[in-house]
Amino acid sequence: MKEMTVQLFGAFSELDAAREIRLQVSGDRVADLRSALRELLPTRWPTFRAGLLEYSAFADQQRVLRDQDALPEDGRVAILPPVSGG
Amino acid sequence: MQGQDTWKIVERERDAIDPAEGIGFVSDPGFGGIDVFIGKVRDLNHGRAVRGISYDLFDPLVLAEFERLVAEVRAAHGPLLKLYVAHAKGRLAVGDIAVVVAAGSPHRDEAFKACRALIEAVKHRSPIWKQEHYEGGDSVWSEGCSLCDATDAPVLPGATPADAAAATAARRP
Repeated sequence: MKEMTVQLFGAFSELDAAREIRLQVSGDRVADLRSALRELLPTRWPTFRAGLLEYSAFADQQRVLRDQDALPEDGRVAILPPVSGG
Repeated sequence: MQGQDTWKIVERERDAIDPAEGIGFVSDPGFGGIDVFIGKVRDLNHGRAVRGISYDLFDPLVLAEFERLVAEVRAAHGPLLKLYVAHAKGRLAVGDIAVVVAAGSPHRDEAFKACRALIEAVKHRSPIWKQEHYEGGDSVWSEGCSLCDATDAPVLPGATPADAAAATAARRP
C-alpha cells in the first residue's frame, strides 16, 4: 500500500477545506489511484458527483500523467477535472 | 519568462492584467503585425446573469504548460515571433480581464495565426478552472475540456508532423 496525497482543484476543491485528501492506494500506477478514488468518493462524499472522476486527469507539478504512469515518488498528485480557462 | 516569449499568472487581489504590457512585450522594430486577444468576464452565460468568476489554477503546471504551448506555437508559426500570455487567478468581476494573449511578427498572417493557436491551446490544455457566480447567489464550476487524453491531442493548426513529434516529446519528461 502506498499513501498518496491528492491536491484538489476545480469542483474537487469543495470536498475538503484543506484542498487535499490522503488515501491508501494498492499499487503504484495512476490507474490504481483512480480505482481507489472510485471506491472512496461515493463513500465519503455521497452527494458529490463521483462520475466526474472518469473525466478527470492526474498530474504532478510538471506534466499530466497517464493512467499507466507510475505514481510520483513523493506521494503527491493533483486531480484535474475538465479545464475551463480563458 | 524567457527571451522572446513570456507567460505569467496574475493574482487578481494584487494586480490586474494590462493588455498594454502584452502589446509592449511583443513589439519589435522589425515587426509590422501584432494581434491581441483579450478575454473578459461577461455578464451572461447560458441565460443566467453572472456577477463574477473565480479562477482556480494549479500554478506550477499552468506555467509548465504555458511554456510548452508557447514552444509549440513558435515551432508552428515562428521563428520570427514574440508571444505573451497572462492569465488571472482569483475572483474577477464582470468586465475584468481574465486572459491576454499577444503575438507579434513581421506580418499580420503569422501574428493572427499564432495568437489564435495560443489562446485555443491555453483554453483547452491549461489546468485552469472557472467557477461562475450568479445573481441568485449560487455558484457553478464550469466543465470544459478533459485532459485525460491531452498528450494525444491534435497538433496546432499549421504544425508539421515534425512539430507534432517535438511537441509530444516535450510533454514527456
